[in-house]
Amino acid sequence: MSTISKITKEHYEWRSQIIKLAKADIVKTYSGSALGWAWAIVKPTITILVFWFAFSIGLRMGGKVEGYPFILWLIAGLVPWFFMNEIIVQGARSIRKYKYLVTKMKFPVSTIPTFVSLAKLAVHLCLMVIVIVIFAVYGRLPGIYILQLPFYMLCMLLFFMAWSLFSAMLSSMSKDFLNLVKSVTTALFWLSGIMWDVHKIELEWLKQILLFNPITYVSSGYRNVFIYKTWFFEEPTALLCYCVSLAVMTILAIWSYRKLIREIPDVL
Amino acid sequence: MENVVIDFRDVSKVYKLYKNDQQRLLSVFSKKVSYKKKKAVDHVSFQVRRGEAVAIFGKNGAGKSTVLKMITGVAFPTEGTINVEGRVSALLELTSGFDPEFTGRENIYLKGRLSGLKEQEIKELEQEIVDFAEIGEYIDQPVRTYSSGMKARLGFAINVNIRPEILIVDEALSVGDVAFKDKCLEKVNEIMHKDGVTLLFVTHTTSMAQQFCSRGIVMKSGKIIFDDAIDPAIEAYEKSMRKK
Repeated sequence: MSTISKITKEHYEWRSQIIKLAKADIVKTYSGSALGWAWAIVKPTITILVFWFAFSIGLRMGGKVEGYPFILWLIAGLVPWFFMNEIIVQGARSIRKYKYLVTKMKFPVSTIPTFVSLAKLAVHLCLMVIVIVIFAVYGRLPGIYILQLPFYMLCMLLFFMAWSLFSAMLSSMSKDFLNLVKSVTTALFWLSGIMWDVHKIELEWLKQILLFNPITYVSSGYRNVFIYKTWFFEEPTALLCYCVSLAVMTILAIWSYRKLIREIPDVL
Repeated sequence: MENVVIDFRDVSKVYKLYKNDQQRLLSVFSKKVSYKKKKAVDHVSFQVRRGEAVAIFGKNGAGKSTVLKMITGVAFPTEGTINVEGRVSALLELTSGFDPEFTGRENIYLKGRLSGLKEQEIKELEQEIVDFAEIGEYIDQPVRTYSSGMKARLGFAINVNIRPEILIVDEALSVGDVAFKDKCLEKVNEIMHKDGVTLLFVTHTTSMAQQFCSRGIVMKSGKIIFDDAIDPAIEAYEKSMRKK
């Protein structure tokens, strides 16, 4: 309990620094290359086009989904994955990346994963604006359902902030953990129902497992907004399962923080 | 006691040494993983009053840096209590908390903000720091392109100018040239007398410590073996060096 209040207090007292460091993190990620900011958009665009090409033209699976062109269905679920993919790896790297804040000055370590997450969120928001523009061009704006987009964003942010703290603590203890994380991200991508329709699964046990997968929850949530036009409260079981996952991840984050905070400066 | 700004009570610091990274990761989940203990600081107690200038001597590995790190608050003691009052500005090792990707100027702002200064205050100090560091055009280049001398100069310039209450200098002056060293000593003298800054100074150059420290602490394998006025401290340090 005292750990929670300590983390909360640190975040409150350093709130303006967190925002500034998040800005600095974005600048740092994109400065030093000629195209700079454009990379934030170029990279995802290429990935989307490659998947669209492979699935529609190569595998000829690109039929309409719920009456929507395949490409729209694809980006609705894939764009949140770009954020999750970044944060799974970069979140785990965050404390290692900002070593000097830990070993060279007194700085609240728990806020490092937070400002890294916020920096990634800013990029995600820019991409979402583009997604909405694309839907508008197709004349397929989601209407009133767009109101629940912030809800799913918050779900995504909360879970992955907890993940970042947990994983950053462990990967500062050992690089092995970081390598483990890197090697499972691709697997997570293909297993979490980003490239295939979760609604079409017939295996009951698999459905059950996926309910507890926050990646599936968020990705399907974004599609609920743009494609399926479903409110989040119409799927209470999924919401409940997500909350369970969030609680477990938060407990893990706090456990790892409490256990390792005093050791990290010695090993980094 | 009044005016005590640094208070160490029976402080020990033990580093856990694992065979490799895998063992260290495993130790998070299991208590069975074996490790060696290295006692870096061994039951150390001392107090420093406001405005004091203390030199800390000792061979490499005597525990000086660990003590400074604990004062700064970046390392935690295994046993004992530490009380530090006031804003600590620490120059731990050379690259003292720079972000290598940022330019020198951006690092001034970063460091200033993290030390709790307001944007306006940093703006006022900016020119002073740039002038003091004497790195010219390089101030707008990323710090990763700096030489070690430049890093040390900028680090020193920032740390003495952000109005610290406790200034910690860890061997940072050993790389600068004589002219810059003198300038630093002058500046340290100035802020000590004008603002009553407390100074903790780690060095191997006893003559430099003699110039502005009034007290000397000699450490040996994690213990304080001598703590008194500077001149006898230097004598004790030199004697312990000769003895091996």
